[in-house]
Parts: sequence; structure tokens; C-alpha cells
Amino acid sequence: MDDKVRIGVFVCDCGTNIAGVVDVPEVTEYSRGLPNVVLADEGKWSCSVDYLSKLQDLIKEYRINRVVIASCTPRTHEPLFKRTVREAGVNPYLLEFVSIREQVSWVHMKEPEIATQKAKDLIKMGVAKAALLEEGQEIRLPVKTDCLIIGGGMAGMNAALSVADQGFNAFLVEKGPQLGGILNKICFVSHDNHKMPAAKLIRAKVEQVQTHPNISVYTDSELESVEGYIGNYKVKIKSNGDASTKDLDISTIIVATGMEEIEPEGQFEYGNDSRVITQLQLDNRLKDKQLDNVKNVVMISCVNSKNETRGCCNIGCHAAVKNAIAIKHLRKDASVHILYRDMSLIKEEGMAQQTAKRLGVKFLRFSDDRYPDVQIENGNLKIKVYDLLVGREFELPSDLLVLTTAFKGHDTVGQIKGHLKVSANPDGFFQESHVKLGPLEFATDGISIAGCAKAPMTFKESCEEGFGAAMKASIPMNKGYIETEGIVAEIDLTDCTQCGLCSKRCPYSAIAVDEEKNPEVLQALCKGCGLCAADCPAECINIVHYSDDQVFAQVEAALEENPEKKIVAFVCHWCALGGVDMAGVSRLQYPSNARLIRVMCAASVSLKMMQRPFELGAAGVLVAGCEFPTCHYIEGNYAAEKRLRRAKKQLAKAGHDPEKLWNIWCSAADGPKFANTMRSMVKDLGL
Amino acid sequence: MSDSILVIGAGIAGINCAMNAAKYGTKVYLVDDTASIGGMMARLDKTFPTNDCSICIEAPQMYEVDNHENIKILTNTEVRKVKKVNGTFKVKLVKKAKYVDEEKCTGCGACVEACPVSVLDPLDGKVGGMRKLVSMAFPQAVPNVVSVDPSCRFGEMRKQGACIGECAVDCSQCRECPIALCVKACEKEGKKAIELWQANKNLNLEVKSIVVATGIKNAPPAGDLLGYDKYENVITNTEFERLMNAGGPTAGEIIRPSDKKHAKKIAWIQCAGRGLAEGKGTPYCSKICCMISTKQTIITKEHDAVVEATVVYNDLKAYGKGFWDFYRKANENGVRYVRGRPYEVFEDSQTKNLTVRYEDLDTGELRKQEIELLVLATGIIANTRNKRLAKALKIKLNELGYFKEKDSLLAPLDTNVDGIYLCGGATGPIDIAESVVQATAASFKAVSYK
Repeated sequence: MDDKVRIGVFVCDCGTNIAGVVDVPEVTEYSRGLPNVVLADEGKWSCSVDYLSKLQDLIKEYRINRVVIASCTPRTHEPLFKRTVREAGVNPYLLEFVSIREQVSWVHMKEPEIATQKAKDLIKMGVAKAALLEEGQEIRLPVKTDCLIIGGGMAGMNAALSVADQGFNAFLVEKGPQLGGILNKICFVSHDNHKMPAAKLIRAKVEQVQTHPNISVYTDSELESVEGYIGNYKVKIKSNGDASTKDLDISTIIVATGMEEIEPEGQFEYGNDSRVITQLQLDNRLKDKQLDNVKNVVMISCVNSKNETRGCCNIGCHAAVKNAIAIKHLRKDASVHILYRDMSLIKEEGMAQQTAKRLGVKFLRFSDDRYPDVQIENGNLKIKVYDLLVGREFELPSDLLVLTTAFKGHDTVGQIKGHLKVSANPDGFFQESHVKLGPLEFATDGISIAGCAKAPMTFKESCEEGFGAAMKASIPMNKGYIETEGIVAEIDLTDCTQCGLCSKRCPYSAIAVDEEKNPEVLQALCKGCGLCAADCPAECINIVHYSDDQVFAQVEAALEENPEKKIVAFVCHWCALGGVDMAGVSRLQYPSNARLIRVMCAASVSLKMMQRPFELGAAGVLVAGCEFPTCHYIEGNYAAEKRLRRAKKQLAKAGHDPEKLWNIWCSAADGPKFANTMRSMVKDLGL
Repeated sequence: MSDSILVIGAGIAGINCAMNAAKYGTKVYLVDDTASIGGMMARLDKTFPTNDCSICIEAPQMYEVDNHENIKILTNTEVRKVKKVNGTFKVKLVKKAKYVDEEKCTGCGACVEACPVSVLDPLDGKVGGMRKLVSMAFPQAVPNVVSVDPSCRFGEMRKQGACIGECAVDCSQCRECPIALCVKACEKEGKKAIELWQANKNLNLEVKSIVVATGIKNAPPAGDLLGYDKYENVITNTEFERLMNAGGPTAGEIIRPSDKKHAKKIAWIQCAGRGLAEGKGTPYCSKICCMISTKQTIITKEHDAVVEATVVYNDLKAYGKGFWDFYRKANENGVRYVRGRPYEVFEDSQTKNLTVRYEDLDTGELRKQEIELLVLATGIIANTRNKRLAKALKIKLNELGYFKEKDSLLAPLDTNVDGIYLCGGATGPIDIAESVVQATAASFKAVSYK
């Protein structure tokens, strides 16, 4: 390729969508005069098949090595143009996208001259950035086929079998002496009207696991240490106390450590009287059919649940009804009372409640702040409960009081989360990467999560999570690599002070620190949010395609003329730009003062970036990020919010008015919010 | 044997299923019978318990499947017949005409502006805005193309008085007559994307396995449930969700249908219609409605803190991680939760305000409360299209109309036909996170089926 920068600018009419407002021939002519531009061409429909092939021909004919597309929005059309320039021999990282439809013609429909001027500015900014663009490439990291599964309960066993069935190696590490997890303590499981003895389910699964040629089982074993990252984990496990250790080379990890009951020590006479047991202990007794001499069973739901510190236990109502039915089947003459707050039974589970009622199980409802009272009188258990629905107090004799208690993660969770550098809540349940759309993985690539290690769930849900987590682990193992877009952090160690901030702040554990305390970006894990770069006190981190130089070039181009009339807006690519696009699609008309600079995340906007426009005389600066709590990079908007506060102080110190630094947290549906912010800014800044 | 798989239904479950399979390296056909992928989630404002903006988190996934080389998206397409021959499913589908060339349409919207006929958007129900006869499903639609309402194509436009005469042919015979304004607008833009003469197309696919991800449906209010049919200001929780949505018919203004004024006193009734006689209402707990209402109250209070929000409920389902805290947050924000059983709703004919009479379950007393807008949480039912699909796939439905698993404990998500799997709302009422889990699990089963 030529060393000399040769930029091609392609301006789209979008039929009349752009050309009906913006004077495109004039803008094209203007583009021709910009530095480094060797060609500017107007296209009626840039995205049409015929124009795309023309574009490729022009790239070759004019030996263009940087491309600026001025058309609709990168959120929908950038992939198409990237593919197109790649096919024409231009590295796709040398493409810059300028949005003159959503940001210009659709939102300044009644001001063609102003719109034309803004389009020129935006293209000038794009050209300035394009001149500084550097080649990039997707980054690949090889991944072999060895998967570590931590926890040998149902989720873990299903995950191990699923991984192994595909021909991958599964290493199943179980802390206890046997496989099966919490299911070992359970009599039978049910879903809808279908039930099976737990022992049978365990036996079948354990046999499959133990006879599978691709599964190695380590019982009585725990993690000793974990080093590395996806495709390259060095794992040490220790077995039978410290008796033996083993080193494993691991590619992916599945966490399925399960949960345990919280023993309600000291509550409702638990621990003082052997007749007071937990729901799991009842399950155990049902298994052995030990219900002789039991005539009056009372169950209390929501013990340690739904209070200040803990939520619904998710499965307690289901377990109580299931076991009540079992008691009735075993001893028809036994009376069973379930004392509950809210009956949390879903769909067919509700029918189980009907079955229980038919069998004579009684349900009494107590209020949130009036739990039943349990006392021992003359050696007898007496339970007093005020039934909300009947409106009076009942006194129930009992020879077996069952407490449906809450759950927590295992004691080992603290250690494991340290080894894997993932997080867990105070109850020891691991925190998945996204509650809605990332339920089976952690933020760190290569580690997935399944089953009750995340939250209490039913047998069926645990099995499904096992399959799902296996899929997440299998994707890179089947492909043999992970690949990430080349928009990643690069560290120049020349000025690095080895403060370690970048490594600490990275939400993806993508920056490792070596023995000499030098940070190193594991580029395959980096998502390119830019948080580290903006925070680096020595300014030695750059994000490919969004480097400081490139962003400053855009700022300077934007403010070359009439800076006092202009607002520089840094807009995150995800929700905030979505909101901008939505304002466009909805044809919301707002003032044209802002010049938008796309960044991947609001967290990548450094103090310097916020200050630079003011030094050049800008009227105002806007930082636009995702609406809380959404962030494509977990918590980038929170980091940005913090930095904005610091920026205001710093601006004041430097003699700029901190009130001219604005921010907006905007959802992708919120066109009106963006338009309103534009109006308020223009008004408040007196433009 | 084919190594492709077919995913039926492109809501959040179908999208995740397709995405995982494609990333694994399998070719996927992702089929949906509506004009855009996205499903129910694309129409939501927020998601519980984090209040993430729904389209903000879904749209990137929609674009990702759209751009994935292993995924072929087929919208407006229905599965008609499936036959398993030598381990391969031979699938016959019909791509219903959009009357638009999807390759040529750029979604510019010139035709939408030109179209003179607005109809009520049925998807928004009572709070519905107007929608043109040629329109985009929603702004972030994938594929980002318009479609022409078939009722236009079959003469509805003329009935609405939109035709200005001089039509040479009957509308139902329309071959881009000079009066078709959308066609003209498109031609003026230099495109010829609108093809009113387009016909349905038959498609044939061969796949090795199939995942059914057809989703759930909001239960319509049965009969004149709590005044829904009679009173303007009684709406469903789905309709309320559209009111809250900045991308919805009121641009996020919570205004009531009767006078378009901001509602300051709003009540939610949970389990509305539950346990009614056969065929009316939802016979079971739909799992997610308590959290939907909790979300709606929190967002409503965020829009305007002075709104008085009351939730009348029976059993609170706060069954998932973070759900209880979410409920507590609503309480802290001043939302009033009343354990009650409503039995009657009256309207003041002057103010159009409503009075709800209910039994307070905590005290046993009968109470009444006047409000300006009433929201009914009517629950979730099986997709009505399941029946036809089950027949085509030769898989079973359970008595509630959801697809039946072969054995929910031994083989969850499997059906009675080897190689056909289920996920998401196809299995029952379900939230987004659980749908994603099942979708991932089902994608595993589908790609590894031999």
C-alpha cells in the first residue's frame, strides 16, 4: 500500500432523505478540497449493490487507502461498508463512518443551509480522523478442548457430559466424596405432575459420568490455584486434603458449585428440639421413610427469606407442597399444615397445591410482619399462627416442625471467586455477567456458570443450565479459537509508572501485570471500552480506532470555525447513539450546534478530551452514555459519571465554566430525551 | 445429511439460540412469522429487575444475528409442513408477501410518509397510535425494511377513501397502478422496492434439527373483565408498557386514553381474570406479572414522583435473583401494595375516573379506591399459533397449549420427535433470562444432534 494517505469520501443522497435537505453536490465539492482527499463521490444510494461495486472500483482506480462514508448510521450500516472496503483491499479499520442522515438531514429538515454546513463539518471531522487511522485486525487466541467443571451436582454433571459427548475433555472436580450435590439430600424431584426419586436420577447420571471416556472425575478435591486466561489456564487441584495435587492445562471453566441450606440456628426452637427440622432434613427422612410416630406436621415457609437481607428462596413453596404430598402418601392419617406468606407456585405447580388440598393438607397464611410463634410447653411443640384469610389465631400441636429455610453458596465460593477473579453476592451466589442476557457466563471470557451456584433453582432448571453452560464453553473449543474485533487497548510502556490502575479497573480482567509490574493487554479478552486509557495517569494507553490523536483531530476539525457556537458531543456507540438515531428516525427537530464524536463507551472520554474543546473555545461539551443501569461494558457509564465530577473541578481550576460540561444518560429508545437535551443546552449556553 | 438447523421464532429466545449455534459453527435458518425479528422484548420499555432498557440490550443482538455469516433470517415466514426423511427434516415454508423487495428497500421511510391511510396499530391495543398501511414494524426492525399491509393490497385503501380515482384496475388486481402513492414515492427516491404484485413464496429447507422458540402471548382480557370493554381508562399491562415506552405511541408520556391527560392515580390489578371459567382468563399463575407490575410502578414513579401507584395483588411472586429487592425498591419509592381481591370496577361518567372495589385480605374489610387509570395484569397464555405448528412438526402440546416436553426431568427441552427441541415461551410463562438459558441449552442440543 502507498505510505501516503489517500482518502476517498463517499457522500450518500439516500434518495431524497439526505439530498432533500443537505446540498450534497456542494458537500461533495467541499470534501474534495479537504486535506488528503483524492476523491469525493456522490451516490444516490451508497448501500445499493451497484454503488458498492462502483465504490470498490473507485478505491482501486484512485488507489484510495482511507475511506470516509457519509450516509446513514454506523449502527446498522457499518458492517456492510467494512465488508465492501475489505473486498476492495482496504483494511476495514481504515474506514470512518459519518452520519449525515440521522444526525443532519432528518433532524434539521427545515434548515437546509445549516444542515449543509453541519454535514460539511462532520465530514471534515471524519477526514481528519481518517488521515490518522491505522490498520487493525481481528485478534485470535487459540483455545484447546479441555474443560474444567467445578462442582459435581446435577448442573456440573450435565455440563461435563455435554462437553464430553462432543469429544472434548471434561475434568470434573467435586469437593465432597461423591457426585450428585444437593440432590443427594433430596427424596424425589417433581416438575409439573411428573415426579421421580432423586436417587434414581443420580445413579443414572453418575454412571454415565463415571463410564465416559472423556470425563476425569476428581472427588474430595478442590482448586488450589488458577492462573491464566481462556485457552491457557494452569489449574492446580488438590485431593483428599493436601494428600495429592495435580496440574491441569485447561481451556475453559464451568462453575457449578451449587448451594446449601442456611441452618436456622436458634430460630423457632431449631437446634433446641430435635423435632424441629429443615425442609432438606425432612426430604432426607422421607427418603428413608422415617415418619413413624409423626402425626402432626407443621411447615413454616419463608424462614430467613424475604426480609431485609435476603430475597425469595425461589423453591421453598414448591418443596413444601411436594413434601406435604409425600407425607400424605406415606401416612394418610398425618395432619399437615403449611404456614406461608405468599404461595409462590407457578403454572402447573399450582395444581400440585390443589392435589395437596385434596389430600387434606391445610394452608394457613400469615402476614409479612407476624410470623408464627413456636413454643415448647410441657415438652410439647405448640405453634400459634394468626391466619390472615380466616382472620383468627390458630393453635397447632406438632410433633414435627419443618422450616423452609433460605439457601446460600458454599463456603468455598470465597476462594473460588478469588481464583477466577469473578464476583459473588454476600450470600455466596456468583454474579453472572448480565442478569438478563448473560445468565450463563461471567464477564471474563471462558468462564461460564450453571445451576444453584448462581441462585436457588429447580432440578429441571439446573439441568438446562448445565447444557447451556456447556454450550458457552464449547463454542470456543469447537472453533479452536476466540476472536475479537481489533478495537482494543494498546499500552506503550515508555511512560508507564506501573501503578497497576489499568489492570485493577479492567472489567474483563484483560490486562495482566507481569513480574516486573508491567501491564500487558490480553488483546483477545479486551472489549475496547477505553476505560483504562481514559484513566491512565501517564496517558500511555490508546484504543485502536479511537486513539487520543484521532479524537483530538476530530475535536480540532469541529472547532476550526465558529467554535463559540458549537457543542462537542462525545456519544457512546451503544445506547446513546441509539437515542440519537431514534431522534433521527422520529424526525425530531433540534438545534444544530452539536458535532458528535462517536466513542465506544462514555468511560473512554478522558479528562483531557472533556477539556480540550473548551481550550479551543467551544460553547459546551456533552458526554452521552447509556442510561443506568445498562452499559455494554458492565459499568462504563458509572465510571464516566465519576470522571465527569472530577472533570468539572478540573475545568473550574483551569478557568473554564464547569456548568458548560453536560452529560446525558440515554436509552436507545430515547430520541426525545436527546433532542430535549440539545434544546436545553442551546438555551442554557445562550446559543 | 444437512448440517443446518432451523429456529422457529425470532424473539429473544430464538435470537440467542441462533446466535449460539452460529458461533459454534452451525448454519442456522432463523424464521419468524412477523415482519421483524425481536419478538415481544422489542416492544417492551424496560426489563426487570434491573430496569435495563429493553431495546437497548436487544437491538445489538438483533444486528449481530443479522450480520452473522452463518445465519439466514427469514421474516414473514411460516412453517407449513415438516417431514423427516433419513434423519433430515424436510421443511416447507411460506414467505408471505411484504409487497416490498427486501433487497432494494433501504428503510428510508419515504413511502410511509406518502401513504395517506392510517389505521390503529393493533399491537398497541387501546393506547394504540396510528400506523400507516405501509410501515416499519418498529424503528430498530431487522431487516430494516417496510412492509405493506395486505389489507391495503386488497382494497382497504380504497374503502378508506385514499384512492383518488382514475384507477385503471381494481385494488385487488393492483399492478403498481399510478395511484399507489407508496410506489410513486419509492420511485421518486430512485428505488423500485415496492412491489404490490408480489405473491407469497414457497420455500423448502433441509435441516438436521429444529428448535421451537415461538414465545408467549399476553392473555387478552376475558369478556368484560373489570370493565375493560366498557371503560376507556382500563388497559392491560402490555398496553401500559407501550405507554411508558419512549418509542411507543405516546413517546413515553403516561397519559390515559379518555382525555390524554397524565394519569396521577394509577392502580394495577394482579391475577386479573385468573381462575375464571374455562376458556376465559388464565387458569394458572403466569409467574412474571408481579415483577412486570413492580417494574411499571417504579418506572412510573421515575417519570413523575407524585403519581400514586397502588398494586392490588394476592400472592407476590418475587421468585428470582434480585426480584425481592426490586419489590422493596418499589415500596421505598412509595408504591402501595395491597393484598386484595378486587370484584368490581365502576366508572364516573363525568370524569372517566374509576372506582375499584376490593376485599382487603389483610383485614377482611371491603374497600374502594378511586383512580384515574387501571392496569390489568392479565397473565400469559400459550401462543395461539402453537396448535398449527405442533401439527406440522408432529409434536405434542400439553393441556395448557404449550409444547410438551418428552420428559421434563430426564430430557428437559426434548420433544417426542428426536431432533426437535423447545425453548423460551414455547415451554410456558417465562422471563427473559430463563428464556436465554433455555435457548442456549436448546442450541446445544440442536447443534450436537446426530
